[in-house]
Amino acid sequence: MEYFLQNLINALQWGSFYAVISIGYSMVYGVLMLFNFAHGDIFMVGTYIGFGIATLFLALFMPILPGWVIFIMVIIVTMFLASFVGVMVEVIGYRPLRGAPRASAAITGLMIGIIFETGNLILLGAQRFSFPALIESVSYNVGGVYFTNVKVLIIVVSLVLMAALHTFIQKTKWGMAMRAMSYDFKAVPLMGVSINIIAPLTFAIGAGLASVAGILYGQAYPVLDPYMGILVGWKAFVAAILGGRGSIMGAALAGYLLGFIEIFVAMVFPSTFRDLIAYSIILIILTFRPRGFFGMAHSTQLRL
Amino acid sequence: MNFIKNFFRKFSVVPLAGWLLGVFAAVLIEFYLGEDVISYYLYLPKVPVLFGALVMLKEPILIPSVLAYDLLVYVIPILLVARLTAPLTNGLAAFLENMPLWLATLLHLIAFYGVLHLWAGINDYRVLVVKLTMIAVILTVSLNIINGYQGEFSCSHPGFMALGAYASSVLTLKLFANDKVFGAALLPPEYGPYLFPLILIAGGLVAALGSLVVAIPSFRTRGDYLAIISLAFLFIVKSAIENMELVGGPRGLSSQPNFASMPVVFIWMSLCIWVIHNFTTSVMGKALNTVRDNEGAASSMTVNTRKTKMTAFMFGAFWAGVAGGLFAHVLRYVNPSTFGIQKLAEILAMVYFGGLNSIYGSIVGAVSINVLGEALRPLELWKWIIIPLILILVMIYRPHGLISFTEINVEKLLRARNRDNDTGGE
Amino acid sequence: MTALLEVKNMTHYFGGLRAVNDFNLAINPGQIYGLIGPNGAGKTTVFNLITGVYTPTEGSVTLEGNNIKGVETHRIASMGLGRTFQNLALWRHMNVIDHIRMAHYSQLSYGLLGAFFGTPTMRKQEKEVYDNSYRLLEIFDVNQFATQNIGNLPYGAQRRVEMARAMATKPKILFLDEPTAGMTPDELVRMIEIIKQVHRDFGVAIFMIEHRMKFVMELCESIQTLVFGEVIAEGPPEEIQNNPEVIEAYLGKEDLH
Repeated sequence: MEYFLQNLINALQWGSFYAVISIGYSMVYGVLMLFNFAHGDIFMVGTYIGFGIATLFLALFMPILPGWVIFIMVIIVTMFLASFVGVMVEVIGYRPLRGAPRASAAITGLMIGIIFETGNLILLGAQRFSFPALIESVSYNVGGVYFTNVKVLIIVVSLVLMAALHTFIQKTKWGMAMRAMSYDFKAVPLMGVSINIIAPLTFAIGAGLASVAGILYGQAYPVLDPYMGILVGWKAFVAAILGGRGSIMGAALAGYLLGFIEIFVAMVFPSTFRDLIAYSIILIILTFRPRGFFGMAHSTQLRL
Repeated sequence: MNFIKNFFRKFSVVPLAGWLLGVFAAVLIEFYLGEDVISYYLYLPKVPVLFGALVMLKEPILIPSVLAYDLLVYVIPILLVARLTAPLTNGLAAFLENMPLWLATLLHLIAFYGVLHLWAGINDYRVLVVKLTMIAVILTVSLNIINGYQGEFSCSHPGFMALGAYASSVLTLKLFANDKVFGAALLPPEYGPYLFPLILIAGGLVAALGSLVVAIPSFRTRGDYLAIISLAFLFIVKSAIENMELVGGPRGLSSQPNFASMPVVFIWMSLCIWVIHNFTTSVMGKALNTVRDNEGAASSMTVNTRKTKMTAFMFGAFWAGVAGGLFAHVLRYVNPSTFGIQKLAEILAMVYFGGLNSIYGSIVGAVSINVLGEALRPLELWKWIIIPLILILVMIYRPHGLISFTEINVEKLLRARNRDNDTGGE
Repeated sequence: MTALLEVKNMTHYFGGLRAVNDFNLAINPGQIYGLIGPNGAGKTTVFNLITGVYTPTEGSVTLEGNNIKGVETHRIASMGLGRTFQNLALWRHMNVIDHIRMAHYSQLSYGLLGAFFGTPTMRKQEKEVYDNSYRLLEIFDVNQFATQNIGNLPYGAQRRVEMARAMATKPKILFLDEPTAGMTPDELVRMIEIIKQVHRDFGVAIFMIEHRMKFVMELCESIQTLVFGEVIAEGPPEEIQNNPEVIEAYLGKEDLH
C-alpha cells in the first residue's frame, strides 16, 4: 500500500508535466486545427529561459528575498518571455501557412523544432547545465510514504495553472473567442474576432504553460539537454490526442493518465519496457476509441 | 533574360541520351585527368568529392579553384558534348523510339548506371553517398504512397524500415555469416548474393505485416488520430527491438555480409520506381487518390476502400522494409536508435520538399535533401539550421512541395528533341 | 414483372430519432421515379440507406431480387446502383478522364499484381477502360476537358462529369440527388435533355430527389412525397401536384411555379 501511494505521488508529479505541456498542443489544435509540432521544443526553450532567469534572480536576490518569492518571480518572468517565443513561432512559422494543407504546417513545425534544438547547441555548446534548486528540498514521511515538498509543489502549481486557464477560457472574452473558434474557425472571424489576435494569444499561453512545466521539470530533474523537448514533447502530443482534439480538460486528464501508465508500468516491469507498454496501451485505446476521450465528432479528414 | 532564353533554346534540342553522353564525357575526363592534371594545376589536394562543396566550405581560399574545376570537368564538357552530339543522339533516340518502350528505358537505365558507377568509383565516400541516396529515394517514394497518394499522415515509416532492416539482417547473419549470436553460417556464403533478393523481400513482407497494425485502424479513423497511431507504432517497434536481447537490444546488430553493392541497390531502386509508377498510374492505384479526396464518392463508385487503404499501407511498408534491408547491408550496422524521430523528420522532409503525389517529386526531394545534407556537412550544426529553413520556405511558397501531382512520362522523357521545332511551327 | 429495386417497410433510427418510417418503394426497369419533400424530410437519408452508406434499422432492400441491406456500399454500387451527390462529390486533385476511369474499378480483373508489374492483361484492360471513359466524356459533352483538373471546370460541366462517372459503373438504376441544385435556367434545360438521353440510350431506371417541380413534372412517371420521414402521397405527377395534403405540407401556400 505504501509502495502504491509512493508511486501514486510520483505518477501525479510525472503526469503534471505531460498535462501542462499537452494543454499547449490541445489549445493550438482547438483554435487552428493543426498540431504545433514545435511545442516540445518550445518547452525546451522555455526551460532554458527559466534556467537563465532563475540563475540571474538567485544571484541578484538570494539573500534579500525568501525562496518562494524568487520562485514566483521566476515563473512570472519566464512565462512572459516564453510567450514571445510562442508568438514568434506563430507569426513566422504558421501564419504564412494558414491556407495551406495541414500536413505542410506540421512539417514547418517539425523544422522549427529542429532549428530550436540546433540553435541551442550553437549558442550554448554541448555542455550540460544544471537547473538551480529554487526551493530547498525537504523530505516528509507520512505513514511510510516518502515525499518531498518539491513534488507537492509541482503538483500544486500545475493544478493551479490549469484552474487559472480554465477560468480564463470560461470567463473572459478572449477565452470565449477561443472556444468559439474551436467549434467553427471559419465563422468566428466573420463575427469580428480576428484570428490574427487569437492565434498568437493561444500560442503565447501554450508557450507560457510549457515554460512553467520546464521550470518545474528543472526542479525535479535538473540536468538540461537541448533534446529534452523531443522525449517529453512527443509524449505530451500523444496525450493531447488521447484526450480528444481541442479538449483542454481531456488533454490534462490524458496527460495524467500517461504519467500513471508510465510510472505503474515501471513498477511491474523493467523500466526499459516503459515506452513499449505505454504506447501499446495508447495504440489499443485509439484503435477502439478513435476519437480519444473527449474529442468532438469533427470530420477527421486532412486538408490536402 | 534574353540570353538565358536563347541559352535554353539552344539546348532544348538535346535528348536525354545526349545529356547522358555529356555526363559520360565529363566523368571520363574526371577519371583520367581529374586527379593528376586538373586538380594538380588548380592546387587542389585531391579530386573534389561532391563538386567541391566540402572543400569550399572547409577552405574558402580554394573556392576559385573548385569553381574552375567544376567548370572544366563538368559544366563545359557536359554542355559541349551534349550540344555537339545532339544530331547523333537525336538519331539514336529516334531509333530507340521504334523499339518497345521497356527496352529503350532499360538501355537508358544501363547507360545511366554506367555513368554513375564510373563517377562514384573515384572514391568510397561517393559510393556510400550514392547508395544512401538511392535508399532514400526508395523510402521517399514509398512514403509518398501513404502520405501523398493516400493522403494520410503516417509517422511509422522508420518503424517499417526497422522491421525490414532487422528481419533481413537476422536472416543474412543466420544464413551466411559466422556470428557470435546466431552461430555458424547455415549456407555457404557464396549463395548469399543470389538469395539476397529473397531476403530483402522477406524483410519487406515483415514490414508489410507490421503495417497492418496501422492499416486496420485506418478503416475507422483518419487524419490526426491515425497519425498518432502510426507514431505509437514507431515507438513500439523501436522500444520492442531495444528490449530484444536476441537482436542485440540497444547495441544493435553488426557485421552484416556485404551484399548491398551499388548495382544491387540501383536495381532495387529502379524496380521500386517502376512498380510504384505502374501502380500509381493504374486505376487500382488511383483508387488511393479517390479515398483521399472523397471516401464516400469512392465507395459509391465501386471502389473497395478498405482494400485500398490496406494496399496503400502494406505496399508502402513493403518498400520501406526493402529499403531498411538495403540500409542495414550498406552500413553493415544497425541499432534501434537509428529508427527514431530524427529519421522520421528526415524522410518526411524529403517527401514534402519534393512534392506530394509525385514520384518525380520524391526522387528530386530525396536526392536534393541527401546531397545537400552531405554537401553542407562541413558546416556541422549550421546545416541543421539551413535545411529546415529551406524546407519552411518551400512549405510557405509551395505547400504541396516543389513538384507535386506530376507523373513521370517516360515516353516524353526519352524521345528525340530535334523535331519539336517542326511541330511547333505548324 | 418483378421490380428492379424494391424497398419494404424500411425504418431507420439515428440514436433515438426516427429519421425514416416505414418507407416502401418499387421501381421497375426503365422507370423514372421522383422523391420530393421539404428540407429535412429525410430524402438524402433514404438515398444513403438504400445505397449502403447507413444500414436500415428495419425492413428489407433488394436489387433484382438480391438482398442489399447491410451490404458494403462499393458492392451495392458494383451490383448496378449508381449515384450522384447533392453537393458534387468529386475528387479535387484528379483530372476529368481519371474520374471516369476510376468508376470502372470493379470491372477490372487484373488484380494488384497486374497493377504492380504492368502485365499485358492490365494494359489491355486499362486501354479498354480509357477508351470507354473517353466515349462517356463525349456522350456527356465534356471530352474537351479530359485532361484538365476537375476544379477548373464550370459548375454545369462538373455536374455532367459526375453523371458520366455514375454511368461508368454500368448502373441498372441511377440515383440522382438534386441534379439541378445551383444551376442556371440554361443549365437546367440542358440537364433535362441529358437525363432524357441517359434514360433513352442506356435504358437505365432513375430515382431522383429534386426540388424544382417543373423538372420533376417533366421527367418523372411517378412521385413520392416524403415529410418527416414518412411518405404522405404517391402517384403520377399530375395527381401529386393537385394533392391537397402535399400542397399543404410541402408547398405551403406558395404557388407551384
